[in-house]
Amino acid sequence: MIERVAARPWLWPAALLAVVAAALLLSDAAGSWLQVANPDPARATEVTAALDGLPDDAMVLVGMDPDLGTYPEIRATVRAALSELLERGARIAFVSYTPEGRAAAAAEVERLIAGGADAGRVLDLGFVAGAEAGLVLSVTQFGAAGASFPAAFADAAAGIAAFDMTLVVGGLDIGPRTWVEQVVTRVPDMPVLAVVPTFLQPEVAPYLRTGQLAGLLATVRDGATFASGVGDGEAQPAALPMLAGMLVALGVIGRALYVVRRPDATPGRREPDEQA
Amino acid sequence: MNGFAGTDAAGTAATWVAAAVTVGVWSYFAGGARIFRLAQYLLAGLATGYLVVVSVREVLVPRLLLPLAADPGGVPLSWLGLALVALLVAGRWLPPLAASVPVSLLVAATAAFALGGAVVGTLLPQLGATVLPASAAGADLASALLGLAITGLVLFTFLHGVRRGRVAAAAAGAGQWLLLGGIGGWLGFLLVSRLALLLDRVRFLLGDWLGIVR
Repeated sequence: MIERVAARPWLWPAALLAVVAAALLLSDAAGSWLQVANPDPARATEVTAALDGLPDDAMVLVGMDPDLGTYPEIRATVRAALSELLERGARIAFVSYTPEGRAAAAAEVERLIAGGADAGRVLDLGFVAGAEAGLVLSVTQFGAAGASFPAAFADAAAGIAAFDMTLVVGGLDIGPRTWVEQVVTRVPDMPVLAVVPTFLQPEVAPYLRTGQLAGLLATVRDGATFASGVGDGEAQPAALPMLAGMLVALGVIGRALYVVRRPDATPGRREPDEQA
Repeated sequence: MNGFAGTDAAGTAATWVAAAVTVGVWSYFAGGARIFRLAQYLLAGLATGYLVVVSVREVLVPRLLLPLAADPGGVPLSWLGLALVALLVAGRWLPPLAASVPVSLLVAATAAFALGGAVVGTLLPQLGATVLPASAAGADLASALLGLAITGLVLFTFLHGVRRGRVAAAAAGAGQWLLLGGIGGWLGFLLVSRLALLLDRVRFLLGDWLGIVR
């Protein structure tokens, strides 16, 4: 059986797709009776506490620089955070330091406006070139000298220091680490929240311990906990397809272990039928 | 639903193209290497075109050319910037020394910002938080001792070329299992992460494209 599967390498991906699709259809038909659990809601609680500390009519900067490849993992969490900020009456301004982030920011701004968000409370600051150098320049200035902004964001011309909080949606190029190194060292009093994909968690989590980040959402379960905490149930990932996918993945790992550990797996050894 | 493409003609076309490319990429598993390669070329071409548009529309025109056109004498630094851009673009036909000036400036400035930020923003604060426990008693001390013990056991695993006694061999075995446990836990996180990405694509196909799921 295992040998037959090994002879058709497309079978495992096809099985994974079929199982995930079937579980998604079943989950969609049966409702959300199975949900992603999180035994440790501390990270989501920290983010909510930081949002609670915002003043009325706060001005929040969203540093939008996710990688396009991994953005879908955190998209639901980012959207839950954005809608929560708008719900709390905050004004949000988007800025990007990578071209990829610029694409995501433009799409999210357009989606927010199309979804009925008050266009006067959402500002697109666009793309700032120069990576680290651009970030440092942004601490004291946005836009060209003398640039004008809408009345609700008049203070934004004074740069990042004029904002009440920053939400960093990070990726591999520009992420929370860069923000901490270039911005938090210059504006230490401004709270910085971060949403990053799982693979960045080991790099970013130490900044929570030092207090340089006020909150971090870096795994699917943290994002789901935060989203359900702020009442955005739609943002939760479908648990049944995830479970089904994990079972298939376990099967793949089991097969790999079988192939590696079986006694006749010596490299170069040929099967009897191959010799014939 | 990813919510990016609208319901108008452009949105519908974008959804169909995205769905076709998604299926094309997946066809690699069934031996469709040509379609996969076509999708790769498409991505590379679109990314290059997009970068050019962003560079021209959001950097060169508003930050360099417009200020120069509005007040040619008032922004001397922009003239210097324009000269450096010209050197970079024409570098292929210029002596190597001239072409290396903008590249050197670029590398030096990036390194200076990155190095300074890494020392002040990461190295010193992380050393402060790691070397000294917040308090020398209770949970912090226990965590520090536990951390040292685990680190020591894992290091034993990599002790090669040294004769091991029974205790050292047992420690190395424990370290190996701790290492495997850590890697396994991390693999679990990454598995969920990658499944979330796959699920997003399947949901896109079944929801945004075919309209079967919400």
